[in-house]
Amino acid sequence: MKSYHDIAGDGGSDVAGQVAAQRARIERRLSGVRHLLAVGSGKGGVGKSTITVQLASALRARGLRVGVLDADLNGPAQARLGGVAGAPLVPGPDGLTPPRTRSGIAVVSLGALFPEPVAVDFDSVAHGESHTWRATREFSALAELLAAVEWGELDFLLVDLPPGAERTQQYAEFLGRSTAFVLVTVPSDLARGVVTRSVSALGKTPNRLLGYVENMSGYHCRDCGEVKPLFPSSGAVDLGVPRLGSVPFDPDLAERCDRGAPGAGPPAGPSATALGAIVERILETLVERPTPETTR
Amino acid sequence: MKFLCVPCNTPMKLIETRPPDRGSISLVYSCPECAYEFAMLTNPYETQIVGSLGVKVGPQQGASPETQGQGQAQAGESKCPFGSMVQAMTGEQSAPAPTPAAPGAVPWTAAAEQRLETVPEFVRPMARTGIERFAAEKGYERVDERVLDEAREFFGM
Repeated sequence: MKSYHDIAGDGGSDVAGQVAAQRARIERRLSGVRHLLAVGSGKGGVGKSTITVQLASALRARGLRVGVLDADLNGPAQARLGGVAGAPLVPGPDGLTPPRTRSGIAVVSLGALFPEPVAVDFDSVAHGESHTWRATREFSALAELLAAVEWGELDFLLVDLPPGAERTQQYAEFLGRSTAFVLVTVPSDLARGVVTRSVSALGKTPNRLLGYVENMSGYHCRDCGEVKPLFPSSGAVDLGVPRLGSVPFDPDLAERCDRGAPGAGPPAGPSATALGAIVERILETLVERPTPETTR
Repeated sequence: MKFLCVPCNTPMKLIETRPPDRGSISLVYSCPECAYEFAMLTNPYETQIVGSLGVKVGPQQGASPETQGQGQAQAGESKCPFGSMVQAMTGEQSAPAPTPAAPGAVPWTAAAEQRLETVPEFVRPMARTGIERFAAEKGYERVDERVLDEAREFFGM
C-alpha cells in the first residue's frame, strides 16, 4: 500500500501549495529589503515599540530607507507612534502602498486601520475555542499583509514583535533565517530573567541575535540633567549577548512618541546619544553599511 | 492530508465541497479507478484550523470536466485568513469587519474596485473608508485610479 510520501500532490485541495505560494509572494515583496531587523523582548512593557520607532528614526536620520512592520496585531502601537493612525493602505498597480511618517518611514500597522479602542477580532466557526487556532490565524494575517504590501527598496525593515519568548522564536521562523534580532529589556532582574528565555529560544534558530538594548536604564531629569536609577538591579542576571546600549527614560521623548512625532531623529539628550550609539553598533555589527539615500 | 483507495492503491481525488453546515464542511473524494466515493466531514475545530492557514479548500482548477464547477467558489479566489474561507464555507458574516459603505459613500469605478481587491480582505473595509474620506475631502465625486494614485502620493510616496 502506498504511503503518504508515495503520493504526489494532496488529492486536489492544494492546501500546502497555497501556503507555499504565499511564502513565495512574501519573498518577492521583501526582495528589495537589505536588512530585516526584528525588535523583540519576550517581556511586555519594556518599550519594544518605542525603541523600534526610535531606532527607525535614527536610521532614517542617517539617510537610510526604512520601514516598520507592526507585528503586534493585538496591541499595535506603530501607527500612533509614527503619526499615521487613520492613514489607509492605498492599493496601487502592484500592491499596497504603506503610509509614511513625516520623516519618510513606511509604516504598516493594524493600528492605522482599526481605531482605538477597537480590538482586533477574528471570526470563527469554532466558537469559544480561539486558543486552539488564534496563533495560526495571526501569523496567517501577518503573512497576508506582508504578501500584499509594496515595500520597494528599503535598507531596513524593522519588525516590532509582540511579547512572549516562544513567540519570538516563532517570528524568527516566520520571518526567515536572514532576519537579525535585537532584544529589549529594562534593568530589573525580573525583566532580564524573562529576556534570557528569549535569548535561549532564539538560540534554537539560525537567526542572528545582535544583542540587547537596556531601555529605561535610568530617569533623565531635565531639571538637573542627571540620570537617576529607575529599577533595582542586582546585575546578577546575565543575558549572555552583547549590550548594544542603555537608553534612559526621557519624558520629552516619551511625550513626542505619544503624539506620534518622533521626528526625523531623536531629540537631543542622553537618550538621543544612546540611540545614536546603538544604531552605529547595529550598523557595524551588520558589517555591510547600507548606502545612504535621501530622496524619499 | 491525502486519502488512498486501499483496494486500488490509488490516491483519491477531491471532487466536491458540499455546502457548509454549522461550521462543518463536507469534502467528497472519489477514486479515479473504481469511482468509489466517500465524504470527509470536518468538525468546527478542524474547519477553523484549516481556515486559519489562510487557504481555501476546494477542487483545483485542473479538476476533471465532470467535477469542474463544483466547489469552485472556494478554489482560485483570493485567500484571506480572516473571513473569506470560513465565510465562503459557512455563509456567516465575518466579524470584525466589513463596515458597509456609508449611505452616500463615494462610488468607485470598476478599475478602482479591482485595485481594492489587492487589499487583504480583513482590512479592506477600513482601506475603503479611508480612501473615500480622502476623496470626499478633496471634493471628488468618485474614486477612480487617478484618485488612488493621488492618495498613494498623499499618504505614502
